[in-house]
Amino acid sequence: MSSSVNLLIGLAMGLNLLALGSSRMPSVIRIVAAQGVALGLIPFFMEDRFGWLVALVAAGTVAVKGLVIPNLLHRAMRTAKIDREIEPSIGFVPSMLLGAGGTMAAVDGAQLLPLLSEHAGTLLVPGALASIFTGFILLIGRVTAISQVCGYLILDNGIYLIGLLLIHSTPLLVESGILLDLTVAVFVIGIIMDRIQRAFDSLDTRKLTVLRE
Amino acid sequence: MTPGHLLLIAAVAMFFGLLGGRGAPRLWLTAMLVGGIAALLAAIQVFVSGAQWDWRSEFSVCGEPLHLRLDAMSAVFIALLGALGGAGSVYSCEYWSDKAHPRSARAGRMWWSAQLLSLGLVLLSSNGLHFLIAWELYAVSSYFLITLDRQKREVRAAGWLYLAASHVAGLFLFAFFAMLAGRTGGWDLGPMRDHAELAPLFWLALFGFGIKAGMFPLHVWLPSAHANAPSHVSAIMSGVSIKVGIYGLVRFSGWLVVPAAAGWVVAVLGVISAVLGVAFALGQHDLKRLLAYHSIENIGIILIGLGFAMIAAGHGNAAWGRLALAGALLHVWNHGLFKSLLFLGAGSVVHATGTREMSLLGGLWRAMPWTAGLFALGAAAICGLPPLNGFVSEWLVYLGLFDSLIAHSAAARAAVPAVVLLAMTGALALACFIKACGVVFLGAARTNASARAHECGPMMRGPMLALAGSCVAIGLAPLVFWPAVARAASAWNPAWAGLEAPPSLGTIGVANVALTVIAIAAVSLLWRRTRKNGLRRALTWDCGYAAPSARMQYTAGSFAGIITEWFAWILRPLRHRQIPDGAFPADASFEEHTPETVLEQLIEPAGAGALQVAMVARRLQHGRLQAYLLYIVLGLAALAAVVLFGGGR
Repeated sequence: MSSSVNLLIGLAMGLNLLALGSSRMPSVIRIVAAQGVALGLIPFFMEDRFGWLVALVAAGTVAVKGLVIPNLLHRAMRTAKIDREIEPSIGFVPSMLLGAGGTMAAVDGAQLLPLLSEHAGTLLVPGALASIFTGFILLIGRVTAISQVCGYLILDNGIYLIGLLLIHSTPLLVESGILLDLTVAVFVIGIIMDRIQRAFDSLDTRKLTVLRE
Repeated sequence: MTPGHLLLIAAVAMFFGLLGGRGAPRLWLTAMLVGGIAALLAAIQVFVSGAQWDWRSEFSVCGEPLHLRLDAMSAVFIALLGALGGAGSVYSCEYWSDKAHPRSARAGRMWWSAQLLSLGLVLLSSNGLHFLIAWELYAVSSYFLITLDRQKREVRAAGWLYLAASHVAGLFLFAFFAMLAGRTGGWDLGPMRDHAELAPLFWLALFGFGIKAGMFPLHVWLPSAHANAPSHVSAIMSGVSIKVGIYGLVRFSGWLVVPAAAGWVVAVLGVISAVLGVAFALGQHDLKRLLAYHSIENIGIILIGLGFAMIAAGHGNAAWGRLALAGALLHVWNHGLFKSLLFLGAGSVVHATGTREMSLLGGLWRAMPWTAGLFALGAAAICGLPPLNGFVSEWLVYLGLFDSLIAHSAAARAAVPAVVLLAMTGALALACFIKACGVVFLGAARTNASARAHECGPMMRGPMLALAGSCVAIGLAPLVFWPAVARAASAWNPAWAGLEAPPSLGTIGVANVALTVIAIAAVSLLWRRTRKNGLRRALTWDCGYAAPSARMQYTAGSFAGIITEWFAWILRPLRHRQIPDGAFPADASFEEHTPETVLEQLIEPAGAGALQVAMVARRLQHGRLQAYLLYIVLGLAALAAVVLFGGGR
């Protein structure tokens, strides 16, 4: 069980680095989608007693993160005619180096944490920390609104991984609520981006500083 | 009626004035007078009976039961509040009328009532929490009263400065009361003379109340606030508000144990305030600013008395301390009376001429004989001249200092310089008020505004007459007022119980009456002779110059020039001069201005520095989302580091 979970998380960690390194918007969206699918599959391998509740959560996650959200983002890109190139404020190579360093630190740092014995052997916690860190790098290091959405999604994937530690104690309602929130958030951001693009001809968040007070 | 009933009447009247006084000036005035007189009567009852009134409520306000207490110490200040509140209310009806000030007169009445009410609460409150609430209410209502005329820029600036100082004072008092409550386990206040561990808290109280009292060098807010407020507000601020700072110091130095050095520090600060207050006053050219600096001087005199009383209390309750304290408390009354009188007189001048600038006034006594006479009487009283009240209270302070010398006490060494400097202060005050009275009321009118001046009406004259009457009464019959301060002194220190007056006080009363009789006889004799023989008018000696004009009189600056030169090291007067040059000089000018040195040389640079540091920190907020996220990451990382490596595990 543990080895297939670790394989999936390892895949997600690799996808983190890929997301940091890619320079084109559609590919980042695809990477985020793939990561969502990979993480969505984890509950199937984790469970000894496979329940319909967990299956529902897993299937929902795969559907929303793998299909709905990428579709929304692609549509937003099309309607807002967003430039496909990413303008990084932290370059791709430094981002990747940072991400790799963060991943290593996460693996190392997870051993410092007081974990339950059944989680200590998995990559769940290191993967979660690495994804959160990657999400932050994308949020900080990219300037267009849509790439920040991707960073936000990767950040959420990290939080989702931590949530998996508690999958038995988290009710279905909470899980589905989180998914719904995420979907609506991306949906709304898609609309807002369109509006911003029409109003200002740009999605550069660096220019949105007038309302700082 | 018990004091409790009277205070209830006063509170209801003030509350009524607060709510219903906006639109109905007469009704408001009646309520204010009823309230003031009821408070005064309550205080008198306490003085006569000597019993304190103490009341605890069944209900609680903000989580604490209301605890009010009127002992002789509170009564000293409540009496002053009632008297000056009533006088100021009458005065304001003409001075700040609805007709002349349609924008602010209504608000002025409301804030006036609010201020009197909150000041009363401060003086009665025996619970730290309620004390603070009342204190803040009083600070805020004072701010609105100072800035009644807020169309003017300098008024707004004075208001801001006052508000900032009030906040600093409030901060210290919050710390003081919170720590007091923390160490005693409750907000209730009362005598705690057996808790020696509370002594260091006195320094917090000294700072907080010292700012309010206008003690040098914490006085920076006082001159501009007093100068720019409407005159009846200046009168109540100088008469009562800053005395509330004194009340706090007296109250908590009596109830708590104070550090051994506290008395010395208070006495030294008192001497500094007295001497430098009058020195700064001499440098002023603005009539109300001059009076404001005299408030600092008189606060200094009160602090000298209090400081020596504290020293005496710390050295076996020596009897001379009681005299010093009684002098200080009587001076609280006296300064309240004559300083209000002077501010109301200055208000009358401003009302008639529209300016406070002394070099634009002159010769006003012909147009305003009542104002001039009453102002001169107040001036004589503040200079401590017999037979008026200032002389009596300063005499008591002197008596305390001399007795400490005679007793070879621990304070004897400090008493000599204190006496010398106090005497110097009196002399300088006399010079300063000769300057003020001379420049404003004597001589010839310097401008058209002062030439067209008119006497004030009965609503303004009445309160001034009443205040002048009280000044004379305390001067002529000090023994009548002695029991009040004696009871307050015994409330401050139970070891000083008893009502017996120092023997010289009666002598002074008799001497003052005799002096008054002789003066009246001499004046009436002179008056009769001039009526009989007539007056011959002639030119003053003009050094042979044929065409003297009103501009050739002594100005405020030139009159005080010699003395301000002695104090130039601290006054730092700014002078712009263009000296006449050659045989036929084209033009020449001379301008002098005495800034508020502590504010401009010390506090403003410090404030500018703090602002610069703050501006650097402000750069962190620029609106870039990415950087904000970075702050979050860094913050989280720091928290994680603290949790992991901070030893908390």
